[in-house]
Amino acid sequence: MDLVDLIQEKRFIGQEFLAWLWYKSEERGGSVEVPGLGDVLVVFEKHMLLEYGEGEASEKVICRGLQTELKEARAGLGLGKKPEQARLRLARGDYEFGVTLTATMLEFRNVRLPKTVAAADEGDDPDSIEGRVLERIALFEELTSLVGELFRMFIAIRASDQWPDELRRLRAWVGEAAEQ
Amino acid sequence: MGLLSGSASFVRCAVQGEMPEHFWDFVADRVAANSFTDIDDTLDEYSIGWVSVANMFDSEFAYSSYAAGDYVVLSMRVDERKVSPAVLRKCVAKEEERIRHEKQLPRLSRAVKLEIKERVRAELVRKSVPVPAVYDLCWNLSDNTLLFFSTSKKAMALLEELFSDTFDMTLVPQIPWFAALHMLDGPDAEERLEALRPAILI
Repeated sequence: MDLVDLIQEKRFIGQEFLAWLWYKSEERGGSVEVPGLGDVLVVFEKHMLLEYGEGEASEKVICRGLQTELKEARAGLGLGKKPEQARLRLARGDYEFGVTLTATMLEFRNVRLPKTVAAADEGDDPDSIEGRVLERIALFEELTSLVGELFRMFIAIRASDQWPDELRRLRAWVGEAAEQ
Repeated sequence: MGLLSGSASFVRCAVQGEMPEHFWDFVADRVAANSFTDIDDTLDEYSIGWVSVANMFDSEFAYSSYAAGDYVVLSMRVDERKVSPAVLRKCVAKEEERIRHEKQLPRLSRAVKLEIKERVRAELVRKSVPVPAVYDLCWNLSDNTLLFFSTSKKAMALLEELFSDTFDMTLVPQIPWFAALHMLDGPDAEERLEALRPAILI
């Protein structure tokens, strides 16, 4: 199968990851316990893009709303739509990140990095530049690691016999929102 | 934009291929061989190559600025002489009008029109200032992953080709499927993943 077809066929994995992550983020008021990392704060923020259907018949819904209220988006889930894109706030320890994740390609868009002391250094000499580069890379990698471990948690459940129970809980959560 | 400052958007890729011995010598050679060449003062329409992340005009990489700790950091720069279709249409129409008037012709033949269009286009391209685009990347050598600071499909395609030409290695965007294959443990991991079908969440 060529890459374009593979991406299309497997995009449900990324979409279900975002839906599952949203459910997990509300389970304990934003705090998700990640094996190996401890507590990670996950908050679904301002906007979400949902999709329904395939190819030319697909519909997109863009929902902009308050943090975790996102009523329209929750209602969309209740109608069978799946999240394609979501704005998240992720935090662990002293570091807090903003990022828009896309489901199909797992892109990291409009990343907001935590402010650090070194960022203020305006030196143009090679050492200062290298220092800034390394610091920024470390922050980007912290973010990809957080998302990576959350995805690892998801896929371990998704591809196991724990999924039917988890799906039941996820559906119950989707159903709750539809009733509100 | 991206790696050094401002807001960043990126995709994560796996790097596949053999790492040569004397890796940093290899990088120095290959980056130099594929570094960006400025076309501001030439007639070329297109140029693509590597520049320093800190300075888009630096394709010499003094102080080996492509090296930072356990990472290779580079920017891909693409300069293109482009003519807007509206400008081309305007100048072609103007030139056609001028020729018709000069030669006292009621209309121009298809062949003449074609010649005018090609001549006008070549002239406009020659006079235009190349439009630059710069995309950062950082390559983590310890786990062979790469962050590419653009989500444009066109930029990704250009990167894949330049990276392959430069280092003889392939980039594989880490879509959820590939990430899952990489992360899932157990002897039957691939089977279990292949068996997955879209779930209904309601």
